[in-house]
Amino acid sequence: MDSERWQKIKDLFDAALQIEPTERAKFLDTSCADDFELREEVQKLIDSFDDAESFIEGNAAVEAASLMLELNQTLQKGHQFAHYEIQKQIGTGGMGQVYLADDTKLDRQVAIKILNPEFSQHDSNLQRFIREAKAASSLNHPNILVIHEIGAAGDTNYIVSEYVEGKTLRDVIAHSQLKLFEILDISIQISSALVAAHRANIVHRDIKPENVIVRPDGYIKVLDFGLAKLLIPRSAGLEASTVKHNETAKGIILGTVNYMSPEQAKAERVDERTDIFSLGVVIYELVAGRTPFRGASMSETFANLINIEPQPLARYAASVPEELDRIVTKSLRKDKEDRYQSIKDLNADLKELRESLEFDRRLERSEPYVNKEETAILQPATTSTNQDTDEARIDTTSTLLRRRPFTVIALSVLLISLLAAGYFFLMQKSGASQIGARRSLAVLPFINLSQDPNAEYLSDGITESVINNLSQLSGLKVMSRNSAFRFKSDQSDVKRIALQLGVESLVTGDIKQLGDKLIINVRLINADDESQIWGNQYVRNSTDVLRTQGEIATAVAQNLRLKLTNTDAERLTKRYTDNAEAWEFYQRGRFLIFKLMPAEVQQGNAYFQKAIDIDPSYALAYAGLSAGYRSLALGSEINPAANIPKSKAAAEKAIELDSSLSDAYTALAISLFWGDWDWSGAEVQFKRALELNPNDVNAHMFYAHLLSNVGRHDEALAEARRARELDPLLPFLGALEGQFLFHAGRLDEALERLQRTFELAPNFWMPHLFASAVYFEKGMFEEAIVEAEKASQLSPTITIPLAYKSSALAKVGRTEEARADLNKLLAMSQDRTIPPSTFAQIYYSVGETDKALDWLEKAYAERDPKMTFLKVGPYWNPMRSEPRFIELMRKMNF
Amino acid sequence: MAQSADSSQEISRILQEWSDGGDDATNKLMPLVYDELRRQAARFIRRERDGHSMQTTGLVHEAYLKLVDQRSVNWQNRAHFYGIAAQAMKRILVDHAKARHREKRGGVAENLPLDEARFAVSNEKSVDLVELDEALTRLANLDARQARLVELKFFAGMSIDEIAEILQISPATIKREWNSAKAWLHSEISK
Repeated sequence: MDSERWQKIKDLFDAALQIEPTERAKFLDTSCADDFELREEVQKLIDSFDDAESFIEGNAAVEAASLMLELNQTLQKGHQFAHYEIQKQIGTGGMGQVYLADDTKLDRQVAIKILNPEFSQHDSNLQRFIREAKAASSLNHPNILVIHEIGAAGDTNYIVSEYVEGKTLRDVIAHSQLKLFEILDISIQISSALVAAHRANIVHRDIKPENVIVRPDGYIKVLDFGLAKLLIPRSAGLEASTVKHNETAKGIILGTVNYMSPEQAKAERVDERTDIFSLGVVIYELVAGRTPFRGASMSETFANLINIEPQPLARYAASVPEELDRIVTKSLRKDKEDRYQSIKDLNADLKELRESLEFDRRLERSEPYVNKEETAILQPATTSTNQDTDEARIDTTSTLLRRRPFTVIALSVLLISLLAAGYFFLMQKSGASQIGARRSLAVLPFINLSQDPNAEYLSDGITESVINNLSQLSGLKVMSRNSAFRFKSDQSDVKRIALQLGVESLVTGDIKQLGDKLIINVRLINADDESQIWGNQYVRNSTDVLRTQGEIATAVAQNLRLKLTNTDAERLTKRYTDNAEAWEFYQRGRFLIFKLMPAEVQQGNAYFQKAIDIDPSYALAYAGLSAGYRSLALGSEINPAANIPKSKAAAEKAIELDSSLSDAYTALAISLFWGDWDWSGAEVQFKRALELNPNDVNAHMFYAHLLSNVGRHDEALAEARRARELDPLLPFLGALEGQFLFHAGRLDEALERLQRTFELAPNFWMPHLFASAVYFEKGMFEEAIVEAEKASQLSPTITIPLAYKSSALAKVGRTEEARADLNKLLAMSQDRTIPPSTFAQIYYSVGETDKALDWLEKAYAERDPKMTFLKVGPYWNPMRSEPRFIELMRKMNF
Repeated sequence: MAQSADSSQEISRILQEWSDGGDDATNKLMPLVYDELRRQAARFIRRERDGHSMQTTGLVHEAYLKLVDQRSVNWQNRAHFYGIAAQAMKRILVDHAKARHREKRGGVAENLPLDEARFAVSNEKSVDLVELDEALTRLANLDARQARLVELKFFAGMSIDEIAEILQISPATIKREWNSAKAWLHSEISK
């Protein structure tokens, strides 16, 4: 057809329309004459016209307008927006587009929602939304997306929030079928978010799968609190005209209609019970694969919502527990008075269901003849749209919650398992821990971003306080300070660090001091995929630093989804002093005593004393002082006879001030062990400390030491293992473990452990000292000499390596050198304390057993801490039959 | 606003250029018109939400009043402006429908609550916008004015009378042209 031909057809068509339909055939016969094709074309057009009716009679302008707002304003990568730099678009929604962006000011990733231009800055709806969004965000609940900022640049409004990697629940259910436990887990998390929001009188109004983000680890974040107010027109209602009117916001509303409560649809007043209904719809959909009221059109959906009771869930998933059906049905009551009245009740019912299913599942698993494969998938009857005709196809494959006949033998096995399961179940209910294994976490040293390097005590101090507070939780394994601080300078490879520490998640942070403000950024990272579980910025006055630490610890615990008891909550926010200045002195002290050099330890003690002067009730500072004196006495051999009692007195004072402080009991136990040689007394205190804080590495480590020194080797090694779990990278512990193995006579294992410790800390003297002792026992004297010399070089203040070296020298015939060392030490003893046990060992090695025993008796009289090795030190073995030695053993309660 | 005064002059100049035979006037004009339409769309939808209904034609009119210095533009230029606006609106809808088709083929959109790849105003037969666009291109080869008429009416939401006024053609003629265009498009799409 060409234009000319079309013109002809058109003209005839126009003319034909002017005349009565009955006359048209005659008219066309005449007009078209022999051109049958022309006649056919015109006739076809006339038929089509009669057929067309409303075809393209409406207009698409409104639709185009809506689309224009949504589309084609995509910002490109690199686009600068306020202090944000766009990385990529990550979503688009009714309100606007969402981008991943870099916050160039604070150097973090954020999500930015750029609001469509229809949301004007002066819109009162928007203002109200902003208020609610801010309020919800400030709840700081782990399942609520954190909003950092709501602002405007030019005439564009934007919302900046934390960036959460994951998919919307909508995407998740579009691509996979969830298992019952996953459904419960998701529902519980959504309801937990709502519990917090409702408590603050914030109603979400638009709970639907699009507003829930599921992280790869199953973690949930609920988005867009209060947003629905903006999106659902005030006039949302049932009348056809209204529905038509709403076409304007069609794209926006469509997603929401299926999840609306009846009162929302009727444009009545809504309260928090609307969220209960919408969550009911979501749970229904997760189980059934379809929403309960969905109709072919929006008005049909509305009508169903008001008039129709939903199909029971069992219709779509045969294996659904009755209880879940009951919960969903109760949430979906049309009259809000008949529904759950509080989200707390819904949340509690869901949790209880999960727990009882968990219990049943254990039973099931313990049953030996049951197929143990986990097939608890709830299969929607069908995924196609004609579910109504397909009702016969109901899942029958699930073994969940199904009992099978079992034999008598199986029964007895089952009974035992039942008892075990019941016990486990009870333990779980009573403990603060989460189902399954204990969670693990390391808090890496917060980076000091201040110009002043002296402010490092502050970043270290805050890190340590957060570690302390978190390690009070029994449900969480928290890496000790020492292991974590190994990564102070390089935290770039998060995955490797987590692997080395054996933890699931890491906390990192940085601190900047600006005038009297502290800006603390904290991130909780999932080590598996290096994704951020949670992040927040705390801008606080320096004086508020103490409270902030508790906040951080609490936020971390919540974001790990630990179940917290009231006691846990208290422990998380526990402050050991209310005086910021005292805390600062304490932190300066800690910073110094960890350097382990005598001068610095003494300086550290002075800071603890200052902290105590300011806050005489500061128990932790006393515990610090106790650790300082102990470090001088044991680590540096400085006047143990005086320093150990000082350490003990400080520990006792700490307990007097705070009887719940595990550090204090540990400190006391160590003094009883090294100073008073009160083995059983020390054991009691260690146990007390571990009861208070199962994550106290020092308690585990020194308790292991005690056990080793009294000859309970297996227990000692088990206790050391516990310490190592908490602190796998602590060189001190590695060295001690080597020593415990040495005491137990497991020499090769001891060497292996010490070898690993060399690698961990090449400049640490202690493993070399112990290695020297091991080589000596193995008869490898040359090696023993080399290792002892290394230890001396690395720590010139300690004398005991000289004793080990002399023993080996004497064995290879270099007795003169051993004597020279002895004389050197005797000269030194004029100016400083040298443990008498050192002299005893050397005298013995050069063949003067009587003098050796003299010195041992002197060591006893002066309470030389090294006497605690009397029972297990193999270097004393040749003297053990000496009556004077036997008497010493008796006096020491061995 | 200084900005809109500038763009007003700019658009008037481009429209002028167009009537003087400038080739790329449409290309230059499209993004400007599009931007303004979007701004108006925002206003429009906001008002709609607040319960003030507004004629859809208002959308293009407002954009026109905002963008074009009326004193310096003759009616052909004005018709051209409306034509461009209608095309802009067509483009966005058709592109969106194409994207939906793609998603559908990819299996993503299966669960859409309503079939968004098709377009239906209440009480109207739904129409596949991609097909309609293709048919319109064929119609333009037969009669360019008719194709533009359909764009103005369906995509820009203008009434017969408004179109008559803009195109300076009698409403009766427009009505006739509309009938045959609609019948032809319908038969093309129902093929």
